[in-house]
Amino acid sequence: MPAVTIDGIEVNVEPEATILDAAKKAGIWIPTLCYSPAVPNLAACRLCMVELDFGDGGQQLVTACNYPVRRDLIVSVSSERAVSARRGVMKLLLARSPESEELKELAQQMGVEGTPYPKVTESQRNCILCGLCVSVCEEVIGCSAIGYAGRGAERVVAAPFRLASEDCIACGACAAICPVGTIQVRIHEGTGEAEISPFKSRAKLLICEECGKRMVTEPVGKQVLDRVKIDWEEFRKRARLCPECRRKRAAAALGLAAAKSM
Amino acid sequence: MIQSPAELEDLREKVRKRRSTFDRVVRVCIGTGCAARGSRRLYELFCEAAEISGRSGHEPKWKIEAKCVGCHGLCERGPIVVVQPGEILYQGVEEPDVEEIFRETVIGGRVVEHLLYEDPATGKKAQTAEEIPFYKVQKRIVLAENGNVDPTDIEDYLAVGGYAALARVITTMDPEEIIEEVDRAGLRGRGGGGFPTARKWRSCREAEGSPKYLICNGDEGDPGAFMDRSIMEGNPHSVLEGMTIGAYAIGISQGYIYVRNEYPLAVRHLKTAIEQAEEIGLLGDNILGSSFSFDIRINRGGGAFVCGESTALMASLEGRIGEPRAKYVHTVESGLNGKPTNLNNVETWANIPAIINRGGEWFASIGTEKSRGTKVFSLVGKVVNTGLVEVPMGMTLRQIVYEIGGGTKDGKAFKAVQTGGPSGGCISAAHLDACVDFDELTRLGSMMGSGGMIVMDEDTCMVNVARYFLGFLKQESCGKCTPCREGISQMLYILERITRGEGELEDIDTLEELADLIGETALCALGKTAVNPVLSTIRYFRKEYEEHIIERRCPAKECRGLFLYEINPEVCNGCGICRKNCPVEAISGERRKPHLIDQEKCTKCGVCFDKCPFAAIVKV
Repeated sequence: MPAVTIDGIEVNVEPEATILDAAKKAGIWIPTLCYSPAVPNLAACRLCMVELDFGDGGQQLVTACNYPVRRDLIVSVSSERAVSARRGVMKLLLARSPESEELKELAQQMGVEGTPYPKVTESQRNCILCGLCVSVCEEVIGCSAIGYAGRGAERVVAAPFRLASEDCIACGACAAICPVGTIQVRIHEGTGEAEISPFKSRAKLLICEECGKRMVTEPVGKQVLDRVKIDWEEFRKRARLCPECRRKRAAAALGLAAAKSM
Repeated sequence: MIQSPAELEDLREKVRKRRSTFDRVVRVCIGTGCAARGSRRLYELFCEAAEISGRSGHEPKWKIEAKCVGCHGLCERGPIVVVQPGEILYQGVEEPDVEEIFRETVIGGRVVEHLLYEDPATGKKAQTAEEIPFYKVQKRIVLAENGNVDPTDIEDYLAVGGYAALARVITTMDPEEIIEEVDRAGLRGRGGGGFPTARKWRSCREAEGSPKYLICNGDEGDPGAFMDRSIMEGNPHSVLEGMTIGAYAIGISQGYIYVRNEYPLAVRHLKTAIEQAEEIGLLGDNILGSSFSFDIRINRGGGAFVCGESTALMASLEGRIGEPRAKYVHTVESGLNGKPTNLNNVETWANIPAIINRGGEWFASIGTEKSRGTKVFSLVGKVVNTGLVEVPMGMTLRQIVYEIGGGTKDGKAFKAVQTGGPSGGCISAAHLDACVDFDELTRLGSMMGSGGMIVMDEDTCMVNVARYFLGFLKQESCGKCTPCREGISQMLYILERITRGEGELEDIDTLEELADLIGETALCALGKTAVNPVLSTIRYFRKEYEEHIIERRCPAKECRGLFLYEINPEVCNGCGICRKNCPVEAISGERRKPHLIDQEKCTKCGVCFDKCPFAAIVKV
């Protein structure tokens, strides 16, 4: 196993692990925004820059989240060059999304107090274009309901033609993974629908047949049921219940079975 | 189908014999520059004339061939027509000239004086290309047959020795020997990076995984560049032959050519070339009867500049959004579809046949120690002879701009030359004697890039140049990574302020600081090098930035609002055209008397300057 020395701490990691994995093992924090273990590496936000020392006098800044460890490495997270690169990137992000509380919080942890740059690019509700939502929708959920529209500074995350997407099942994975709260799930009480904002797509929420509590959206429920091949009436009944009622029903059924066998 | 190299030689002999029966050959350039000036029509007219003369039965009974050929390079003087024998070069040919050329030169063997090239400096007429200063110091390897062969006819390429290199490698060389030959040549990638070609081939050959892919990058996106375009349009078989040799050396059976859709002629010529090569067994299954098979497919790009970046190009080929990814794992190991992929630029591929034919040592004897061979440049901007030039590496900028380019236009003072496309840098007059090679240009804060060369004179504002290129890159940035997307926007915002006369002194420091940050942290080469135009202009023309900021003055008088328009009373004859055209009624004056501009009212729109027929309006 190759050894990675990060700020003087040596750890061994599996080949093809990343510098970020090694840093975690060494207990060293590196700020990230577009990194999530749930999706393939994007290396788009460039916040996790660290300095690689080749040992021959050469150094290079690389992104920790996707630099593969293939041999022994010497990495500096705290070098002046790495710190100033990370802070510089954060200042650019702050200029883009100055109102994001999450970003401000992270900036503070990185020792960045505000940004010297004016706001020159438009961000949709503080979106920093980390790309996690697009990745999770495509790679994990398998829907590809959202993608990128526009290029460069005009880039936004959107559903096709910026209309409500037919492919969206309103599962809320994009909202859950969004690091800055741009994407939100809104519940419309009147219609009993969930809306994925700002993508405009809506879907009816399933209601627990027992207690009337709201559960996942209908397309999510359908997709799950489609994937499960169990021909058992009771299963289908339980799938229409909320987790709590389902548990109660299962427990009751167990009790019944126990009583019968006694 | 040709089943062996011997059969190829037989065919070549047959073609040559057939060609030698023509007494007269008229070659009409149909490269994009000449075609834009109507050369396709000229070609048709020459064909008609040849046919009529063939039927007429008049003496002399010449067998005449009119054919279309690729770019000659001297686009400034197009359309260009060359008549053989004699290699007489006519320039600026128009439709009415066809008859005269045909009658006088083709039939009569006399020279049409008024269509010859005339040296603007000496007034001397030149009959052939060799006599024209533009061609004198050039050395043509890649462009050697551009202008000689009909790009739509494989027989033309065979007649000049085409596919001999391929036949040779397949019959007499093993793959490692080929790579060694390319190594000896010292060929470095012509797409901009300058990576040693042989090393790339070897890495890809040794990489694990199959299938492997070969790609020709024809996504030339630099504004004002047309090197690769002219090669693909003018001599597509040289690219195909180079690719096939590379595929044989590396062990690849599938190749792709990624061409911009904005190059329809290149796409058409490549397509025809592939079909013709397949037809006679020089491409496809069992090439020349060997066990080696290689297919080439053409993919058309949608015109995104970033798709010239290798990983973005591969993403685009895979049908995904053309965005780059980190290259910590090289594409020779994991490229297209995650398989080992060898990508080279058009010009790199086109160099390969010549290296095989004449040997790596011969190639290495040209150029400088670390940059061997020649480089094609598209010489454009404020230079007398715009066009396509091929020079040995190590030639000075001065030679290229003055000896080949003929210097700046209208006697204006030379100011800078921008090399390397939008991500390159501007090099000042003080460095005109610098040698043009990969390392020297990088040392000067610019780069070789794919070979764009834009000449600027005293009327060019360097701050505005930086603003222009950054504006281009802002539009072409894919927007994936933060530094490129946000950083370039920030820098452009500052440059726009400076060119409006709203700059502040600390702006220069902020620009340098941002440039440093983007250069360090951007994901791909587009972002990393996007700062070059700004950094190089600050480096060589800092004073100009300061004049914009401190004195609110644009010394080149290009930035609107940072200079005034005035009427020279000595020249103004009071015609009133400026007065009538001024949209804000800022000009007054009586008829036939010098007019006056009211500076309070003037919005500096420049209409008067453009409209005045007597050049009486001056910028001050």
